[in-house]
Amino acid sequence: MEDAQLAALLVRRCVAGDAVAWEEIVQRYHRRIYNLCYRFAGSADDAQDLTQEVFIRMYRTLNSYDVGRGAFMTWVTTLTRNLLVDHFRKTKHDRLTDSLDATTSDHPDAMTLGDRIPDEGPPPDSGVQSRETKETVHEALQKLSPELREAVILRDLQDMDYREIATVLKVPEGTVKSRINRGRAELARLLQRTYRQVM
Amino acid sequence: MPGKEDNRMSCSEFDALLSQAIDGTLAGDRLSEFENHARVCKLCGPLLHEAEAGRSWLKSLTEVEPPDQLVSNILLRTSGVLSSRHVTGEHVPTSWLGRIRNWAGVLASPVVVMARQPRFAMSFGMAFFTLSVTLSLAGVKLSDLRHMDLRPSSIRRTYYETTGRVVKYYENIRFVYEIESRVRQFKEAATPAEQPSEQQNNNDRKNKTKNDTSGQPDQKQERNYSQEGNRPIFAASLPIYRGPEPVRFSTVGAPEPTVVSVTTCRRFS
Ligand SMILES: [Zn+2]
Repeated sequence: MEDAQLAALLVRRCVAGDAVAWEEIVQRYHRRIYNLCYRFAGSADDAQDLTQEVFIRMYRTLNSYDVGRGAFMTWVTTLTRNLLVDHFRKTKHDRLTDSLDATTSDHPDAMTLGDRIPDEGPPPDSGVQSRETKETVHEALQKLSPELREAVILRDLQDMDYREIATVLKVPEGTVKSRINRGRAELARLLQRTYRQVM
Repeated sequence: MPGKEDNRMSCSEFDALLSQAIDGTLAGDRLSEFENHARVCKLCGPLLHEAEAGRSWLKSLTEVEPPDQLVSNILLRTSGVLSSRHVTGEHVPTSWLGRIRNWAGVLASPVVVMARQPRFAMSFGMAFFTLSVTLSLAGVKLSDLRHMDLRPSSIRRTYYETTGRVVKYYENIRFVYEIESRVRQFKEAATPAEQPSEQQNNNDRKNKTKNDTSGQPDQKQERNYSQEGNRPIFAASLPIYRGPEPVRFSTVGAPEPTVVSVTTCRRFS
């Protein structure tokens, strides 16, 4: 059975009161939602809270999902994204004060961006990435504006196509593409700038 | 001049094709025009390289592992049903230990969720204190609880034993109180109404605590714990130990009370 069909079936069963179907939905989508939240919000704790909130909202509004109006995945992503926007607004003040501190990492022993970026930065696809390098990229991602960040996350980490992203973000496809381009370029500039400072 | 129309492609056209080019879906004349523009335009050339590099960095980020308890926390806060094993417990024979664990989970979950709320935390602390005092007076050592046999049969046995002891203790206390009140009556008869009746105050206080709690099940439980300790430890929780709860998952439109909880459970376990 195709993913979309299976999802539609699960939703129908779930709305009819089938707890097993609901658990199946949670099992199938929690990883993806958690990763989306983690990459956008930056911290594992926030990601965990947000993922729970997403499922609570999903549970309450599942009967409003209309199979005819689009893929369940798009609906779920839209739901998640709306919560991420709320979260971003709510934590704006905290972030402004936090930004005075150098690092945004969860780990107390985290080094600054500059400490970890490799010299000359070997192209990321050229080999095994160290945990530190990934952490650095993750940190740099948090420095992007939310509009650019969400666009590149949905495209490059969640592998959504432009049309789906346009539906989730409620902007034209051209805008989506432009944000993805700018987001990717800005990320590369951030990482390059950091390692140039070190040299 | 960078940014100016070059060849036959403008910078805005280049920008529109950039994602396609990076995706590798650009071909033919459009691709060669695109590559030409990238070579000569001082704005678009670097943009292409940066966008490619940025994409590579992003692709290097692998999926992270969600915390182990995330799914159970979600289920707990939505359907209230811990796992499908629990739901189908009556039909599918599960391991004996697993069933106990499920019951314990379902039993404990609303209590734990409630206890995490600040307004209940204090009451729970007080309840636990009262409980431990009562138990120690009744001859149950808290250190013994660690080694307690948790099989349902032995829990039931412990319950009756504890009940017996507590009832005995209660009877003794009542005896002492009765003697005390007789003595007080003697005193009052001897001296005119000088002291405001202490007993009256105690009664008032008791009534107050009783009136404070509403009819909600969770608060009822809390009240049981904090009530002077004249109920044994398992009196409040044991009746629920009847076996797997029926499926509480009803309709999505009418969420369970557990769903409404606003507190987050990220450090739940
Ligand atoms: Zn150009």
